[in-house]
Amino acid sequence: MSGRPRVLVIDDEPQIHRFLTPALEAEGFEPLRALTGAAGLAELGHRIAPDAVILDLGLPDLDGQEVLLKARAVYAGPILILSAREKETEKITALDNGADDYVEKPFSIGELLARLRVAMRNKLKAVGAEPVVRAGALEIDLVKRRVLKAGEPVRLSPREYDLLAEVVKGGGRVLTQRQLLTKIWGPANANDVQYLRTYMAQLRQKLEPDHANPRHLVTEPGVGYRFMGDEE
Amino acid sequence: MAPGVGKTYEMLSSGARRAAEGLEVVVGVVETHGRKDTEALVGPLEVLPRKPIEYRGRVLMEFDIDAALARRPKLLLVDEYAHSNAPGSRHPKRWQDVEEILAAGIDVWTTLNIQHLESLVEVVWRITGVRQQETVPDLAFARAEAIEVIDITPEELRERLAAGKVYVPETARLASDRFFKVENLTALRELALRRAAQTVDDALIGHMRRTGIEGPWAAGERILVLIGGDPLATSLVRAGRRLADVMDARWTVMHIERPNQPMSPAEAGRAAAAFKLAEQLGASVMNLSADDLPGAVLQYANRNNITQLVIGRAKGRRWRVLFGRSLAHVLLERASGAALHVITDATPGDSEPLPRPGRRPSPTGYAIALGAVAVAVGLATVIDRTASGANLAMIFLLAVLITGLSAGFGPAILAAGLAAVSYNFFFLEPRLSFAIGHATDLLTFAVFFVVAVIAGSLAGRLRDQARATSRRAAAIGSLLTASRSLSAVATRAAAAKALAEQAAAAVGGAAVVLLPENGEIQPAASAPLQGDAGVKALSTGAMAAARWAWEKGEPAGAGTGTMPQVGWSFWPLQGLKARSGVAGVEAGLIMPGSDEERLLLALLDQGAVGLERAELASASAEAQALRRSDQLRAALLNSISHDLRTPLSTVLGAATTLLDYGDGLKTPVRRDLLQSIREEADRLNRYVGDLLDMTRLEGGGLATRLQTTDVRDVLGAAIDRVQRRLGKRTLARDFPAELSMVEADPTLLEQAVVNILENAILYSPDDTAIEVAAYEDRANVVISIEDEGQGIPGPELERVFDKFRRVEQPSDRGQGIGLGLAISKGFIEAQGGRIAAASPIHGDLATGLRGTRVLISLPKAIATHHMLL
Repeated sequence: MSGRPRVLVIDDEPQIHRFLTPALEAEGFEPLRALTGAAGLAELGHRIAPDAVILDLGLPDLDGQEVLLKARAVYAGPILILSAREKETEKITALDNGADDYVEKPFSIGELLARLRVAMRNKLKAVGAEPVVRAGALEIDLVKRRVLKAGEPVRLSPREYDLLAEVVKGGGRVLTQRQLLTKIWGPANANDVQYLRTYMAQLRQKLEPDHANPRHLVTEPGVGYRFMGDEE
Repeated sequence: MAPGVGKTYEMLSSGARRAAEGLEVVVGVVETHGRKDTEALVGPLEVLPRKPIEYRGRVLMEFDIDAALARRPKLLLVDEYAHSNAPGSRHPKRWQDVEEILAAGIDVWTTLNIQHLESLVEVVWRITGVRQQETVPDLAFARAEAIEVIDITPEELRERLAAGKVYVPETARLASDRFFKVENLTALRELALRRAAQTVDDALIGHMRRTGIEGPWAAGERILVLIGGDPLATSLVRAGRRLADVMDARWTVMHIERPNQPMSPAEAGRAAAAFKLAEQLGASVMNLSADDLPGAVLQYANRNNITQLVIGRAKGRRWRVLFGRSLAHVLLERASGAALHVITDATPGDSEPLPRPGRRPSPTGYAIALGAVAVAVGLATVIDRTASGANLAMIFLLAVLITGLSAGFGPAILAAGLAAVSYNFFFLEPRLSFAIGHATDLLTFAVFFVVAVIAGSLAGRLRDQARATSRRAAAIGSLLTASRSLSAVATRAAAAKALAEQAAAAVGGAAVVLLPENGEIQPAASAPLQGDAGVKALSTGAMAAARWAWEKGEPAGAGTGTMPQVGWSFWPLQGLKARSGVAGVEAGLIMPGSDEERLLLALLDQGAVGLERAELASASAEAQALRRSDQLRAALLNSISHDLRTPLSTVLGAATTLLDYGDGLKTPVRRDLLQSIREEADRLNRYVGDLLDMTRLEGGGLATRLQTTDVRDVLGAAIDRVQRRLGKRTLARDFPAELSMVEADPTLLEQAVVNILENAILYSPDDTAIEVAAYEDRANVVISIEDEGQGIPGPELERVFDKFRRVEQPSDRGQGIGLGLAISKGFIEAQGGRIAAASPIHGDLATGLRGTRVLISLPKAIATHHMLL
């Protein structure tokens, strides 16, 4: 085939493939289909690895988390999860297990493809390759540890800065509460969600144009936070 | 100490003082006998209304215990502690009312004359010649936290009596003249003062012991009172109590049963009454079974360091005479280290109210003895004539043995005596005379007599023991039967029924078992079966007694101290953990203390455990049902989450693909996406329909409209509905030209068939056949739906009609919601039909087994189409 990026879809529902295949093709991808977890893993192991994976967690043959862990062992590319909205723990576990992002079923095709593009772009960039991140009026210099809002320096405490940097480095990807807490407060505080809420509120006060309606530091309820740049 | 000393007055004036101090004092019951000064004292106090109780045409105003319990004052004044309540009251005695009130946490002041104290009844009787009927057990008296002696001199009391200040009922006036003699009053006064002193002493000693002060109390005295079934038993108990009081000793009342000498009902009744009295007087009681009476007594005495032995010597009591010596003699000889008190029953003017003991073997036994000896005489005469020189003594011995074996010990001894006399009279020279001619004959006679007595007594004992053994075996057998029948039941109702039957069999009369329903006990089973519901209705009084037994956990009704007049006896059924109910038997069937009562109580114990077990079983069944319904709810949530969202995902995904990229897609692709939207919308509609159907079935809102229906029409309509989903499968129909009509709801039947067909399509691959057939047997029309799919694995077959059950497929996952077959089953059964599945039905082990057949059977309508022609 040509140089079109290849996307592996692991889902047991033929009906999903039925619309994903033409949609992915129309978007310039080359879709690969797998109806079971085992078939999907075989696809990852044997052929030239695909450029991205879309994985439905509800599979008949294997547990979706298990497929994810096994996939992560052999595959470093972006993995997008399809999951039901009410299964929060499932999503969080998947993110902790190395998924890049998730999309809730039922979804519109535009949303899925947008998430897929973000995930692929972030994987292409090495972390830290972009020392200065700009979003709206914000300019975050990850090397000099400096934050400007509309050209004016913003005073942040070291903790606040660490949290902001961590979210920004995610580059649009969801970071779970556990991931952020472990990274910044240490494993002992992995469940102290109130720290996150407090610091995130302070950061929004200082950085967001309207802290009640945040545009950059976005909450994924029950799951975690993601940083939104300008384009989405 | 005696009527007229001013007890009531004193109680009221003290009560009024406390009321004035602000304590909540209420008068429960006070007899003023019309005395003005006493009435004036009642005036300022709150007085509870009395409860009218009708008895033999008169209305008695009694103390209202329920009013007192409802009022709950801090202190309640209750006059006349020893009063006997009118028959029909809750308790026969007022002191029992007081016990209940105390138990409810209300303080009580009451009044009591010394002569009404149980252990002093006989002493008072001996002093005054008046026997008190109204008594208070010493235990109830000992409960008093404090006692106050109301004391005036006998002379003053007599003066008050003369001045008419003492109320004495007309009927008792004659007796009272004798009663109020100065000597009597002095003696009573002394008794009262001594008793009070003793109580003070007890309190002091108790305090000294608690605080560890060494004291002058007599250490280590232990009293054993041995009672029998004779009228002396209660006197012995009272004597024991007095001794125990004096010595401050622990005391035990013991009764020894001899297996070869069963007690008569009257004796058993007296022994039980004595036991009850002993318990009221604070003794520990003990019932032993032993052949060697003195041996058992001495063994117990030695082991328990008994220092004082109390026994009785009733006049003419045979059983206390052992080989010519009384029990007293034997104990005196063999006891070591214990003092022996022998109480005789010589009490002045004692008229025994109970019938004389009738523990002797029945007259028939003695008739048998007489008859056997007479037959022996006749037989010996015949033999003597025909075969002279035969040993005729053997024939008489035989008669003695037969008597012993058939009638027991007593008749055997009688037969031995009679035989010896007859033998001598008729057959020893000189005949027809009691004289004995030869010296050798004298020896023969003597030896014969001894042998006859020994043989007779041995045979008699053997028979008595055999009887006792068989009685015991019968009791054990009946317990075994009961335990078997009780352990076989699964529900409380069945356990109650089994228990009632067993209890009725054990007592030989009516028995009833009551179980709590919403906190109130209700008759649950009775035997023999009575009334419409098979459960005997109890009178209000009997129900009250049963409720009492349930609430207090104590026996009530006949033979107890609580409501003895209701005609039933009730026992609480005390299980291992809690009370599970109440059992009752008709009064008069069993004697207290008898073998039957023991058997019944053992039965009730088993019944209580059986009931408890049944309760636990039903509780765990409920928990299981709850768990199942939880699982069902989880399955429903899972189903909605997955089965409804997947088609929605497809619809949303396909629609947005069309919106975003529609222009760039080729026409067949666009058509396919639109097609998938339509299919998934259909699927969603079916799921929603299934869920609604299931909800209707579960909620009981399913109304069937049965009408005479041709199954072939319904099958045709159902096939039309699934035609579009058949894909590459073929569908064959095999209907007979003539088919009986069924009574069915066509709409429900069609939906049931559609569900089965959809299931068949779902689980069978392309290019296979589905066959729908109909045929009839004698009573039913049968619909058969077969597919050539993978079949249903054996273990799944039974559960295939369960809700949310679907056979998982390794590759292409089943698209059903898992409700289709459950709905089919519900619909078919709602119409009175049956449904079953069989699998596999095709193939063999070599080529692989496959295929499923679902059969629906519906009863034929009464009018067949043949008749309509």
